[in-house]
Amino acid sequence: MRGGRVAHRVLEDLGLAPAGHLIIRNGTLVPSDTMLDDDDVIEIRPVVSGG
Amino acid sequence: MSKCRSCRAPAVIDLPRHNANFCAEHLEQLCRRQFRRAVDDFEMFTTEDRILVAVSGGKDSLALWDLLVTEGYDAVGLYIGLGIGRYSDESHVIVDAFARDRDLELITVDLRADHGFDVPTAARVTDRVPCSSCGLSKRHIFDTAAREGGFDVVVTGHNLDDEAAVLFGNALRWDVEYLRRQAPVLPARHGFPRKAKPLVRLTEREMAAWCVIRGIDYVVEECPMAIGNRHHMYKEALAVVEATSPGSTAAFYLGFLERMAPLIAHDEDTDAPAPCRMCGSPSGAADAVCAFCRLADRAGAVQPVPVELVLGRGARRRYVEQWGASALMEGDGHGGS
Repeated sequence: MRGGRVAHRVLEDLGLAPAGHLIIRNGTLVPSDTMLDDDDVIEIRPVVSGG
Repeated sequence: MSKCRSCRAPAVIDLPRHNANFCAEHLEQLCRRQFRRAVDDFEMFTTEDRILVAVSGGKDSLALWDLLVTEGYDAVGLYIGLGIGRYSDESHVIVDAFARDRDLELITVDLRADHGFDVPTAARVTDRVPCSSCGLSKRHIFDTAAREGGFDVVVTGHNLDDEAAVLFGNALRWDVEYLRRQAPVLPARHGFPRKAKPLVRLTEREMAAWCVIRGIDYVVEECPMAIGNRHHMYKEALAVVEATSPGSTAAFYLGFLERMAPLIAHDEDTDAPAPCRMCGSPSGAADAVCAFCRLADRAGAVQPVPVELVLGRGARRRYVEQWGASALMEGDGHGGS
């Protein structure tokens, strides 16, 4: 997807709750107000487990 | 870019419940502080104790083991192979590597090899949710391993979100007996070891972040048999509240411990249970067989059931997405860990 957007907006567009996910950009953990670039490789990692 | 509340360096995570952002170094400090506070406030264990830590390969249990050993505790890992297809295979590889890389002692018990059954088969023969026979088996094996290994305490990676979800479920039913037992530490009693949950002041997002910044490889995929369970539903409900009112989950659970739990507590003065006549574990009535041995007897008497045959449609689809179509029907129930 295109960059130029803040990470939490990307999560919202995907219907994902920021509190339930980590954002890892190019292998590094970043906060949800991070601006994402076109060339970034983003991993959105869920954190909820079933207990 | 947001800055760390403590040092103004670029932050790696925003934590709305603390109304703050943190860099990796100060996130680690925060987690260590909350861990120590739980251990000390609830008098869970000391550096003199031999600790058995239950590790599944998920973020919480591996983060807990990492915290324990880096904080100077004597902690041996216990991994239980549950026979849940590729999920168990992968979990075993991850736990083994974690222990080997850090030169830590790991005890492994395999349900199929050591007790003649696995969780999918147990779920099929009991016709109950898989988490029921899974939990029963894990508790029995934790207790037995602690007793036989001379450990002072068994610790598990239940985090704040886990405990709040359990509390929410118990409160919905006003199940006072379960509410009474929902403590972060349970004393040793009648042959059962002391049990403690040192992560009760930390959320699962914080534990996942801990693993990322500490370079801990863990199984990100959810247990296929837990997908859609009631525990998830309670977590989702609490997440809705937390999203609009950050800190509510911690206030709910920690407030319960501080203000409600003392009101419903009472000394349990029950007789020591008689030993199971099959395995010798504390069980119940004289000459009785414990629930675990009854389960092993039933589930061990039938052909192994592959995990995909006991998954619902949604969970089966997720299982294929996570592990690939080749995971289907490849196992005969014998090979899982």
